[in-house]
Amino acid sequence: MFQTDAPLVARRQVASDLWVVAFAAPEVAAVALPGQFVNLGLGPDLILRRPFSVYDVTDGLVEVLFRPVGRGTRRLLELAVGETVSLLGPLGRGFQLPPGVRHVALISGGLGVAALRLPARRAVETGAQVTWIHGARSASQLCQEWLGDRVVWATDDGSRGFAGTTVAAVSDGAAGGIDTVLACGPNPMLAAVAERWPAAQVAIETYMGCGTGVCLGCAVPLVAGGYDRACREGPVYLGSQVDWPALPAQLHYEVA
Amino acid sequence: MRADLSVAVGSLNLRSPVLAASGTFGYGTEVPLLDRRALGGMVSKGIFLRSRAGTPPPRIVETPAGMLNAIGLQGPGVDALIREYAPVWAQWDFPVLVNINAESIEEYGELAARLDGVPGIGGFELNISCPNVDQGGMYFGNDPVAAARATAAVRRRTRLPVWVKLTPMVTDISVIARAVEAEGADAISAVNTFVGMSIDLRTRAPRLANRTGGLSGPAVRPLALHLAHSVARAVAIPVIGIGGIATPEDALEFLVAGCAAVQVGTATFADGRAIECVFEGIGAYLDRGGFRSLAELPRYAPRD
Repeated sequence: MFQTDAPLVARRQVASDLWVVAFAAPEVAAVALPGQFVNLGLGPDLILRRPFSVYDVTDGLVEVLFRPVGRGTRRLLELAVGETVSLLGPLGRGFQLPPGVRHVALISGGLGVAALRLPARRAVETGAQVTWIHGARSASQLCQEWLGDRVVWATDDGSRGFAGTTVAAVSDGAAGGIDTVLACGPNPMLAAVAERWPAAQVAIETYMGCGTGVCLGCAVPLVAGGYDRACREGPVYLGSQVDWPALPAQLHYEVA
Repeated sequence: MRADLSVAVGSLNLRSPVLAASGTFGYGTEVPLLDRRALGGMVSKGIFLRSRAGTPPPRIVETPAGMLNAIGLQGPGVDALIREYAPVWAQWDFPVLVNINAESIEEYGELAARLDGVPGIGGFELNISCPNVDQGGMYFGNDPVAAARATAAVRRRTRLPVWVKLTPMVTDISVIARAVEAEGADAISAVNTFVGMSIDLRTRAPRLANRTGGLSGPAVRPLALHLAHSVARAVAIPVIGIGGIATPEDALEFLVAGCAAVQVGTATFADGRAIECVFEGIGAYLDRGGFRSLAELPRYAPRD
C-alpha cells in the first residue's frame, strides 16, 4: 500500500457521461491487480476519500474511470493536468483468473466497466477467449473502450445492440462455452448475474470510509451471516456469497 | 523537535499526547503507513462480551465537514480479542486500551475481569456513550447513577487504568463527569459522537439504515472542545479531548483548554498519517514558543 501525491497526466471522455483520468503513480501501477481499487483524497473539504476501481495500469500510470455525479467526481473532471490528488492504494482483493481458464465473459453495466478493463487485459494475456458484454441505459452511455475477442452491446432502450439487460443478452447457447464470469455494475445487475452464475466473481460497490479496513463502513452482508468489509475481504466476491436482498440496491452519491 | 511531549495520564506514562480513537484504528494492525513513534497509545475498536454482527448498510454518510456512522459495534467478542489481538499488542511499545461495551452493569464488570491481567491489555476505556446500539451504550452515559454504577463495576474488577468515555448528548456533562470520577475513574475521554441524521430526498428516507448515527469530524470540534473544557473544569482527573481533531492546531486547542492528551479519530480515515502530523506539529509549536515540554504549556482551565 502506498500513499502518494499523484499528478494528473491525461483525461479522455469514453462515453457521454464517462471519463478516464490517468495519474502518475508508478509504485501503485507496478503492483495493482485486476479488481483492486485506489482511494483518492480530493481536497481538505471532502472529509472522506473516494474509492475508484483501477481501470488500467500502463507505463507507471494508474487510470480510473468515473461519472461526474457528486463533488468529488466533479473535481476530478475539473482537475488540470499537473495538479495532484492524494492516491492511496492499491487496496482490496481483486479478481482471480483460475489456471487453465479458456473462455472469460466480462459483464459490465454502466459505470461497472471501471473494474473490468484490467482483468480483460490479463485474461487476453493468458490466451483465453474473452467476450465482453457491455451494457448501459442507452448507446451514448456505453463506454467505447473494450478489450478481447468479441463485444456484445446491450442497452435498456435498445438504441444499440441487444435490447435488455446484460444477463439476458447472453443466450443459453453462448453461455455454454463460458467457464469464468467476471462482473461489475449496479447491485441489482450483480444479483441477476449471481443468480445465473453462482460462481461468478462480482466487484461490489459500497459507500466507503477509510478503504483500509478500520472503519467497518463498507459492510457487505453475507449469505453465511454477518458482514465483512468490501475494502479488505472484497470488493470482489463470489456471487453466491453475497446476501443480495440485504445489500442496498442503489448508491446515491450527492450526499454532502 | 526538541520539546518533551510525554505525558502521564494517571499511572499511564505516554510518550506522546496523541492517541488513536476507538473505532478509527481497528485493532491497530490495519493502519500500516503511520510512524508509530508519534502514537501515545491506542484505544481498540469497541468490544462486547460476545461477537456482534453490527448494523445493516448503509453505515456511513458524509456530511458537511463531517460524517455520520452507525456501525453498531461490529466485533468478534472478548474471547477472539484475547486470542487474536492481545498477543500482538503485548509486543508493542505503546499502551493499548480496550474500549469495553455492555448491555448491563454486570456485563461491564465481567468484561473487565476477563481482560484484567491479560498481557497486551494496558487499560480500559469504558464506553457508556455509543449512540448506535439498542441496549446499553448511551443509556449508561445519560444518567449519572447508571454511569457511576458502570464505572464502579469495572473499577472493582481491575487495577488497570479505567478511562470513561462520555456522550455529548446530555444536559450537563459535568454532572456525569463528577459521578464517574467519584467511582474511581482514572481519566475521562470527552467526547463520543453526537447523534445525527441525514435524509435522502430521492427516497425520502434516512440515508443510514440505522436511521440515526454518530456525527464526527471537524463539524463537531467547537462543540466537543467546549464539552471537554467543561469536564476539565469540573474534575481533578485527566481529560482526554476528542472531537474533530485533524491538525496540530486542533489538538493544541484541546490541550490549552485543559486536556492532558487527545485522540485523533475520523481524520485517520482520510490520512493514515494524521496522528504523526498532529504529533510533530505540537512539538513544533512548543519549540517555537520556547517551551521545553508539554507540561510547560500554559492552560486555560480555571476550576469550577
